[in-house]
Amino acid sequence: MDYPLIIATACGAIALYLMMPRAQGWLVKLGALIGVLALASGLSYLTHWASVAFPAQHAAGPGVFFYAFALIAIASAAGVVCHPKPIYSALYFVLMTLAIAGLFLLLMAEFIAVVLIIIYAGAILVTYVFVIMLASPTGVAAAAVDYDRISADPLVAVLVSFLLLGTVLETLFTHAPHGFIAPVAAGAAAHAAHWGGLAALGKNLYSRYTLPLELAGVLMTISLVGAVVIARKNSPHTQMLGLGDVPTE
Amino acid sequence: MMITHATNSFSDPVLVRYLALGAVLFSIGLVGFMARRNMIMIFLSTEIMFQGVAINLIAFSRYYHNADGQSFVIFLLTVAAAEASLALGLVIMLYRQRQTLNVDAWSDLQG
Repeated sequence: MDYPLIIATACGAIALYLMMPRAQGWLVKLGALIGVLALASGLSYLTHWASVAFPAQHAAGPGVFFYAFALIAIASAAGVVCHPKPIYSALYFVLMTLAIAGLFLLLMAEFIAVVLIIIYAGAILVTYVFVIMLASPTGVAAAAVDYDRISADPLVAVLVSFLLLGTVLETLFTHAPHGFIAPVAAGAAAHAAHWGGLAALGKNLYSRYTLPLELAGVLMTISLVGAVVIARKNSPHTQMLGLGDVPTE
Repeated sequence: MMITHATNSFSDPVLVRYLALGAVLFSIGLVGFMARRNMIMIFLSTEIMFQGVAINLIAFSRYYHNADGQSFVIFLLTVAAAEASLALGLVIMLYRQRQTLNVDAWSDLQG
């Protein structure tokens, strides 16, 4: 058992539980405070863990940018989940996407970082914002509606998720120093110079994954048609299902 | 100019940190998926989980100097985009039926 890790995870669970939308607003600030505590204890645990488990490589940390982006990503993910107004959640999601794109840049996946910003922060989030605007009964400026102000079952949700998280992290941190992660093949360092960048990704996509790439195109076409069919008002399909008499806005 | 990617700075402890971050994001998304009652927020939470997985894939791609992880993220983005368009179409349809985004309004589906 790894008590500091368990304490950090439990602090995160309590923080998220308190920050979930609920009737008592002041608990949110307490939750945020405990969340900062959880992140700090997790960070100190990580430093301690790295010095014990990998004494030889202790100096080779991920650098300050990793911690900055990871902090922004976790905090804004908590913001997405916990904010009572969906439109602000969507904006927090954009912030999280930007932080993760920064992490991808650190991981030398420049193309993926740009694609993530274009597709997620651009296309998908615009769709979400449109739907939030369309389907909000009262508009953005109004107070949050009841089902947004009070979450369904935060205790069960937090317990299940953080039990999963604790198990994963415990396994990861306990077994990673003992060959849990397969070592890099001996020849990998030799071809590492030709690995990164868009050229290698394109070559990989169009040689090894040609068929899946074509299938991805088919999937996009099908979902495009499906979205049009589903969202259409009074189509023959909806009338066939007995959903024809939908109220018009 | 050839950019040298052959640096050894990406060691095991760094990889483990990225994997831990991915796990944290995944479980935060899971909390939102289970606890929120707004249908749009439920789908937004699944997008957080998608991104936690994407971090894992990219980190392994960097660790093994292998473009497969990045290729998988391309496919993951495709599926996420398809899921978002279909799910939001469904949400619009359900909203027209009951004039609310509350999932509890559809509890009668459980029979």
